Amino acid sequence: MVSGETYNERSKGKDVRTSNIVAAKALANAIRTSLGPRGMDKLMQLEDGSVLISNDGATILSKMNVLHPAAKMLVELSQAQDVQAGDGTTTVVVLAGALLDSASVLLRKGLHPSAVAQYFLQAAETACDSLKKVARLVVADNREQLLHAVETCLSSKVVSQNTDLLAPIAVDSVLSLLANNNRTVDLRDIRLVEQVGGTVDDTELIRGLVLTKGSAKSGGPKRMEQAKIALIQYCLSAPKTDMDNQVVVSDYAAMDRILREERKYLLEQCKQIKKTGCNVLLIQKSILRDAYNELSLHFLAKMGILVVTDIERSDVDFICRTLHCQPIAHPDQLDANKLGHAELVEDVYMEGGNNTVVQFTGIANAGSTVTVLLRGSNDLVLAEASRSLHDAQCVVRCLVQEPALMAGGGAAESQAAMALREHARTLSGQDAYCLTAFADALEVIPYTLAENAGQNAIQTVTELRAQQAKGVVGAGIHVKTAQVEDMFAQNVVQPLMVTTSAIRLATETVAMILKIDDLIVVR
Amino acid sequence: MEQAYISEGTSIDKGENARLSSFVGAIAIADLIKTTLGPRGLDKILQKVDPSDQSITITNDGATILRSVHVDNAAAKVLVDIAKVQDEQVGDGTTSVAVFAGELLRQAENLVNNRIHPQTICDGWRLARETARRTLEEAATNSSEDTDAFRKELMEIAQTTLSSKMLTFEKAHYAKLAVDAVLRLKGSNNLDHIQVLKKPGGSLRDSYLEEGFLLDGKSPGVGQPRRIEKAKILLANTSMDTDKIKIYGSRVKVDSMDKVAAIEQAEKEKMRRKVEKIVGHGISCFINRQLIYNYPESLFASAGVMAIEHADFDGIERLAAVLGGEVVSTFDRPDLVTLGECDIIEEVMIGDDKVLRFGGCKSGEACSIVLRGASSHLLDEAERSLHDALAILIATVKEPRTVYGGGCTEVMMAAAVDRAAQETPGKKALAMTAFATALRQLPTIVADNGGYDAAELVTELQAAHAAGISCSGLDMDKGCIGDMKELGIRESFASKLNVVMSASEAAEMILRVDDIIKAAPRQRSEMGY
Repeated sequence: MVSGETYNERSKGKDVRTSNIVAAKALANAIRTSLGPRGMDKLMQLEDGSVLISNDGATILSKMNVLHPAAKMLVELSQAQDVQAGDGTTTVVVLAGALLDSASVLLRKGLHPSAVAQYFLQAAETACDSLKKVARLVVADNREQLLHAVETCLSSKVVSQNTDLLAPIAVDSVLSLLANNNRTVDLRDIRLVEQVGGTVDDTELIRGLVLTKGSAKSGGPKRMEQAKIALIQYCLSAPKTDMDNQVVVSDYAAMDRILREERKYLLEQCKQIKKTGCNVLLIQKSILRDAYNELSLHFLAKMGILVVTDIERSDVDFICRTLHCQPIAHPDQLDANKLGHAELVEDVYMEGGNNTVVQFTGIANAGSTVTVLLRGSNDLVLAEASRSLHDAQCVVRCLVQEPALMAGGGAAESQAAMALREHARTLSGQDAYCLTAFADALEVIPYTLAENAGQNAIQTVTELRAQQAKGVVGAGIHVKTAQVEDMFAQNVVQPLMVTTSAIRLATETVAMILKIDDLIVVR
Repeated sequence: MEQAYISEGTSIDKGENARLSSFVGAIAIADLIKTTLGPRGLDKILQKVDPSDQSITITNDGATILRSVHVDNAAAKVLVDIAKVQDEQVGDGTTSVAVFAGELLRQAENLVNNRIHPQTICDGWRLARETARRTLEEAATNSSEDTDAFRKELMEIAQTTLSSKMLTFEKAHYAKLAVDAVLRLKGSNNLDHIQVLKKPGGSLRDSYLEEGFLLDGKSPGVGQPRRIEKAKILLANTSMDTDKIKIYGSRVKVDSMDKVAAIEQAEKEKMRRKVEKIVGHGISCFINRQLIYNYPESLFASAGVMAIEHADFDGIERLAAVLGGEVVSTFDRPDLVTLGECDIIEEVMIGDDKVLRFGGCKSGEACSIVLRGASSHLLDEAERSLHDALAILIATVKEPRTVYGGGCTEVMMAAAVDRAAQETPGKKALAMTAFATALRQLPTIVADNGGYDAAELVTELQAAHAAGISCSGLDMDKGCIGDMKELGIRESFASKLNVVMSASEAAEMILRVDDIIKAAPRQRSEMGY
């Protein structure tokens, strides 16, 4: 009979696989130090000379100029995690690196790569199932629990000292989307407006709308109470036909007449708008012709109408849903019913940023959209704050989709590792071996957390194991106190989905890398 | 001597040289892809050399690999070609066909070295082919009469196909997806009705079959209904931004602003009438291939019609097929236009993206398979694998006969050919034995790729067949001989037959070559374009 499985392959397959594993591991190592609350940030200099500071795995990787095919796969992996869970983008790559490390040991022992891949995928399922059993269920609207999860997520970011402010904003903004029994969360319904100036502390959640371009500077009002808002999509400028047109001027008098006519035409249009009772006017940008001209702005200012120009077409949908108005594409369609109502529309000067924004507040029958006005002292902080807030919102979204929480601080991974080792003891053969290797790889997360926090990693991880074995499900590394504690009690929690999706996605990618034995150059 | 009659730059390989070049090329190609064969086969990275596009593809699909590699060898090109044809005809078995042709030529090389004339080899192969075909036909079973049994067989075929791909770990899930999708077609066999949508994120297991049709990345215009029941849909390809007079250089001359305004008004009026005509079809949804600009969009909104702009060409053609409507571009005769119909149109979220779902379509065969996975490479490969599975299932619905997989039929055919060879006098018998050996190479390679002792396994398999256990084959999970009926490893008869026939015909064609004439490349002028 066959004497066990052995794999004698061509040297080329082995070389290609080794090269893939080495490249992927190198990439994982590069971002490993940014994991956890004591993880460090990376400064990236982009091709155009600008710099970017980030702690977000997906961001770092997407800016890195990787060439190796296997490294590219890891970059995509972190993006997939970003789409799926929004958080844990560093974790997933570090995990993939550790899994490849374990796999290369197994391969050296003569296991078949596709067998390793298969057993790893089984192990991932076992791990996720075991986590599901110990996770704590939450009620999706329980603000308290959501806050704890968001705080854990934010604790590792640059803006961690602003957690007290940002966490409620993230939770409230997502929860407001859930009004009207809506169960799907589309984060695009939360508008992030970034404005330089002030500090992150000045960030606020606005149940209304903020437009980054201030009102037109034509001497019109800057503040309007009891605003009636119209959004027009046609142009307030001299008429222009779709066909080419030519106005023939035969004498001096005709020229005067034409100027007069243009004036009259614009005045008529402005009067029509005024007639609807509108006192705030938004004008959509136009590429075919000028959306407005000085003259029309002047008329509107005289009529006491606050004007905001250059509204992007892609924003129209959002604005309409927020202000509860309807766009007006032709003067004939002007109608008081199509206007939106707001208590107050005013220009707000952004101190330090030298910019003015228009805020709409107190909107009548507001839709389920909100705006977050992010402030920061410079572009770098602002961009990182915006990414962190997005991650935090994703955490809330995860909990809405799958309302289960798991302890943080490496508790989830070490719990899964323990479950796998236990399961492995009931098996015999290669799968048992692979399961143990998988469990070892999972422990890279607590190990790295401890290492990044400057603790004795081996000491901490073994203590963690011991605690878990005693049945403390939530035992994890509390980085702030440098001790192993029950993280549930410490309120360091994260959505179950972040961990399970990280394990599943990392394993799928690793399985794919393992199954490759050749690199062919093609057209 | 040749230089006397051929033009400069043309080269001729003759006799021995030509044959050698063919053998080397074909065998090299076969060797390149043979490690992808079988459930334990491995994948390849295909990296593009184009400096502007260094994207990579990761695949296990023979046709995809062969289509992409640079080949500068006549015989190798023939192999690439038969793999392509196999892909088009049955969709699966592309690797097998190229590998089998390569193995045949490897055997032929030996025979030719032993001074057997290529034509004699071809004669022997033809006899062997006939025997193999008869054996295959006898071994094939047909259970298309019994719906449940047929469904089970389809599941088994899909799983067998998928077992050699990336999806092998989720093969039960994907086999079900593929079988459900194909059975919905109810024999119409139009792959167009099965739409595959790739969405990164989620894991492979999250892929699902959605009844109806999904339109990606489109949403209704501002202020229009987001959900329509019992929808009547007009599909169009017409310009809805401006309706210009399409005469080159047409322009208007006026002498006052008022008149310009009047013409503008007239243009708007024209558009309004067009929208009225469209709405006059009694529709609740309008889908256009081109942009719909603000003005018509708001007109549609006030008419309560959902208007969707910029549906891509592929999307709208497929929608037309699925909804049973037609794509129109003039709207003067509403009575002549066939409208599409469906029970419900609504927005659904997949991952981060919104798609528009058309449920309960007129042609109930339509469905969409939404693929989820960790990376685009994974998704691309999943799509290719799924496509193979769908193609083979459709081929099976057409030709419902099936055979056992796992090397079972190959060994059976080889045994039959061997028996026939013993009764055949003359050198042809040698060629027939060679044919049998080449057939046995397929299970050998599969076992080899699995890291098993191939020689041991294949000889055991032969013995099992000689002992009359006709459904024994390779059990690649355990690494031993197993009962294919119990393990449910089944392949399509059409695919298997096609592999044997077209590979041997291609090998025969390559073998008969004794001159390779390479025409001189056309001289390009120095000036360039």
